Amino acid sequence: MYQDTFEEEDLAAEIELVTSDSYHAEDPLDEEYVDDASIQQQVLLQQQQYATAGAQIPDGVKNFIGHFHRHILDNNVYELHSVYENSFNKLTEKYFPKSTWPEPEYIAPLPLTPFYPTTSDQVFLTLYRELYYRHIYSRLTPTIEHRFHSYENYCDLFNYILNSEGPVTLELPNQWLWDIIDEFIYQFQSFCNYRNRLKNKSDEEIALLRDNPQIWSCYSVLNVLYSLIQKSRITEQLLVSKHGGDMQEAAGEYGSRPLYKMLGYFSIVGLLRVHCLLGDYTLALKMMDNIELNKKALFARVTACHVTTFYYVGFAYMMMRRYADAIKAFSHILVFIQRTKQYHTRSYQYDQIAKKGDQMYALLAVCIALCPTRLDETIHTHLREKYGEQLSKMQKGEEGIPTFEDLFLYACPKFILPNGPNFEDPNAANLNSEPHIHHSKIFLNDVRHQITIPTLRSFLKLYTTMGIDKLAAFLELEPEELRTQLLVLKQKSRQTRWSSGTLLEGEYVPTSDLDFCLKQDMIHIAESKVGRRYADWFLRNIGKFQDIVAGLEQRN
Amino acid sequence: MRAAKEGRAVPNMYCDVTTGVRGGWRRATHHKSHASHDPTHPTHPTHPTHPTHPSMSSTMPSISPSAPAKTRPEVIQSLIDGVDRYNPDNVSILEEYLTAQCQNEDYDLMANLAILKLYQFNPHLTTDQVIFNILVKSLTAIPEPDFNLCLYLLTEQMVADEPIQKLTLLQQLLEEARYKNFWETYDSDELYKELTSEVRGFTSAIRKVIANVVNMTYQTISSDLLRSYLHLEGDAYKSLLASYGWSDADGVVTIPINKHNEAKTVVIRENIKFEQLTKVIGYSNEL
Repeated sequence: MYQDTFEEEDLAAEIELVTSDSYHAEDPLDEEYVDDASIQQQVLLQQQQYATAGAQIPDGVKNFIGHFHRHILDNNVYELHSVYENSFNKLTEKYFPKSTWPEPEYIAPLPLTPFYPTTSDQVFLTLYRELYYRHIYSRLTPTIEHRFHSYENYCDLFNYILNSEGPVTLELPNQWLWDIIDEFIYQFQSFCNYRNRLKNKSDEEIALLRDNPQIWSCYSVLNVLYSLIQKSRITEQLLVSKHGGDMQEAAGEYGSRPLYKMLGYFSIVGLLRVHCLLGDYTLALKMMDNIELNKKALFARVTACHVTTFYYVGFAYMMMRRYADAIKAFSHILVFIQRTKQYHTRSYQYDQIAKKGDQMYALLAVCIALCPTRLDETIHTHLREKYGEQLSKMQKGEEGIPTFEDLFLYACPKFILPNGPNFEDPNAANLNSEPHIHHSKIFLNDVRHQITIPTLRSFLKLYTTMGIDKLAAFLELEPEELRTQLLVLKQKSRQTRWSSGTLLEGEYVPTSDLDFCLKQDMIHIAESKVGRRYADWFLRNIGKFQDIVAGLEQRN
Repeated sequence: MRAAKEGRAVPNMYCDVTTGVRGGWRRATHHKSHASHDPTHPTHPTHPTHPTHPSMSSTMPSISPSAPAKTRPEVIQSLIDGVDRYNPDNVSILEEYLTAQCQNEDYDLMANLAILKLYQFNPHLTTDQVIFNILVKSLTAIPEPDFNLCLYLLTEQMVADEPIQKLTLLQQLLEEARYKNFWETYDSDELYKELTSEVRGFTSAIRKVIANVVNMTYQTISSDLLRSYLHLEGDAYKSLLASYGWSDADGVVTIPINKHNEAKTVVIRENIKFEQLTKVIGYSNEL
C-alpha cells in the first residue's frame, strides 16, 4: 500500500504523546505453552478479563473474525481474498474509522472454532495483528510501542514462514502477500524517519530507541528480504523461466509453494524499493536483473506491485541520468493506470494508486524538461493539464530551479538514513539532516549544470548553420560562454539507454532530435524529423470500413 | 578494532529469522563450498535460513558499461553479486581492490559503490581517504553520472566537508565544460594535488574526458583553443593528438568524422509491427 501521509502522522506523534498500557510484557498468549498450575490459573483469570472485554466487540466484527479464522484454517484463498479485500475494509469504515481494531489479546479467547487453542491459532493471531497494526499505521498515529510490537509481529510471521520445520502449508492471496512485504518496508521507512526526529521526544522514548538499535535496523530488514528470496529460490526459478529447464527442480520444496514463490518475488521488488530509499540506485536496478519488464511478468498480477515496480525503476533511472529510460518506465505505467482506471475506482487502493500516478506525472514532467521526448498522446494531454505551467517554467533557465525542486520533493520517495542519530550527543539532533533535502540538493546541482540548454536548443532549432559570434550576440553571451554551453548540450543529448539485457545495461546513444557539430566557429545543425505515420490511420479506417461492410451484410 | 565493533555492524538480531541469516553471512565467507542448497535435504532447524546465494556470476552479464567484467577479478564479482557485499569483514578486500584500481588506472564503479554501501551501514568503518579516492576516480568517468551516484550514498555532513566540496567544484567545472577554468582551479591550490595524488594518471584521465567531448562535438577546432582545453603544450600535446589520430595543420586541428560529430539529418520512419496487422489479416479470412 502507498501511505505517504506518515510525515504528518509522525509530526502528530511528536506533539501528542500517547502512552499505551495495552501491552502486557508477560502476555500468556505470546508464550509457548505454560504447564505450571499457578501460572495456568493466572492465565485463566486474565483470559476471563479478556473475554469480558471481548464481549463488547460488535457481533458483526465477531462473525467476521470467526469467518476469517476458519478460512485461514482451511487455506481457502478464494474466500480469504474477499475477507481481506472487502469485509475488513467495510468493517473498518463502519466500526473503526478512528479507533483501533479489538486488541489481539481480546479476540484470542473468543470461541472461534472448537480447535482452540492450536498452533495455527498463533498464526491466525499473527496475521490478525498484521492487519491490526497496519490499520493503526494507516488511520491513527502509531506510538513507539506500536512500532516495536509491529516489528516483533513481523518477526514472528517471517520466523514462522522461514524457520518452521519444512515449508508451511499456509496460503494467502497474492494481494495480501504483496501488502505484507510492502507494509513491512513502509513501517521500516516510517520508523527510520521517526527515529531521526529527536525533537519533542520524551526521555523515555529516546531511551527506548537508544537501547533497541536492532529494532527495524537496516540489516534485519535486508535479512528478511534476502532470506525470503533464498528460501523461495526465486532467482533460480526466474532463470529457468527465462532460459528453460526443470522448474520443479529449480523451485525446490519451498519455492514450489505459491506462498514462498510470491513472497520471494515480492521481496525482489521490495529490495528495489529499499535500495532506492537508501540512495543506492545502481544496486536497486541490479536487484531486478532477472526480472523482465513486460506484461507477462509476475508483478503485473498485483496492481499495487506493478505500479510500485515502475515507480522505483523509473525513479532510479532518473537519478542515474537515464532520462529516456525513466520516461519509458513512467509512460508505460501511466498508460496502464489510465486504461484500467475503471477497475481501480472500486479498489480500496485506488487513492494510493492515484497519488502515485500523480507523483509519476510530476517526475515525468521533470524528465521531459531535461530530455525533451515525444510522448504517448493521452499521457501528453494529461501531463499538460496537470503540469503545463511547471513545464514551461522549467524551460526558463535559473528561475525554473524552484519548480524542479518542488516537483522533486513532491514526487520523490521518502528517503531514509540507515543509522539512528547519536543519542549520546545532545547536539547531534541538530546535525541530523533530512535525507530528502540532501538528495534534492545533489539532483538540483545536476539540473543547474544544464539549465541553459532549453534556450540554446530553441535557438538552434531555427537554423541549419550559424556562426558562434552571431548566435552569441543573439543570446547576449560571450562567444566563449556559448562554446561551453554547446559542449554541455552535446553531452546532455546523449545517454545510456536500455536496448536489451538487464536493466542496468544500455548503449550510449543520442536521445535528442537535435544534433549539431562545430567546424571551428561555425555551428552545423541537423534535426531529426519523424516521418508521417500512416499505419495507424490506415489500420483504424480499415477497421471502420470492415464494420460498415459487416453492417451492410447483416441487413441483406 | 573491527572485530570489537562487529556487534554493532551485524547486530544481535532480535528474532530468529535474522539470526539465521546472520549465521549465514558469516558461514558464507568461510564455507563457500557448502553454500549450495540441496532441496532434498531440508535445512536443519538450528540453521534455518542456510545461505544459498546462488552463484549468479556465471550467468550474469557485465553491469557497468564503464567496467568490463573481464578486468574484474572473480572474487570481487561474486562478492558484489551476493549478500557478502553486506559483510563488514569484506570491506578490506574491496578497499584493496580500489587501491589496485588507483595504481593500475582501472575503474570499477560497482565495486566502489559497494564500499560506500558498507560505510553507509557501518559508519565506524569509514576511511576518508578511501572516499576521496572513489570520488576522484569517478571524476574520470564523466560524462557518466558516477560522481553523483557516490554522493547519494554519503551523508549531508560528509558532503559538506571541505575536501568533498573541493572535488564537487571540480565536478561542476567538468560537467559545465569549463575546461580552462578547471585547470586554473586545479593548479591554484595544492590541496587538489594532494587529494588526487593517490590516483595515478589523474590528469591524463581528465584529458581523456575532455578529448572525448571535443571528439563528439568538433570536426575542426583551432589548436589554440584545444591546447587550452587540454592544458598541454609542445611535444606532450603533439603526442596526445597523434594518439587520437587527430592532425594539426596551420593552427587548425582536424578530427575524423565519427557517429557523434557528423550531425546528419535523419528522418525517422515508422516501423509497423506484425502484431498491429493481425486484426486486418483476420478480416481477410472472413472474406
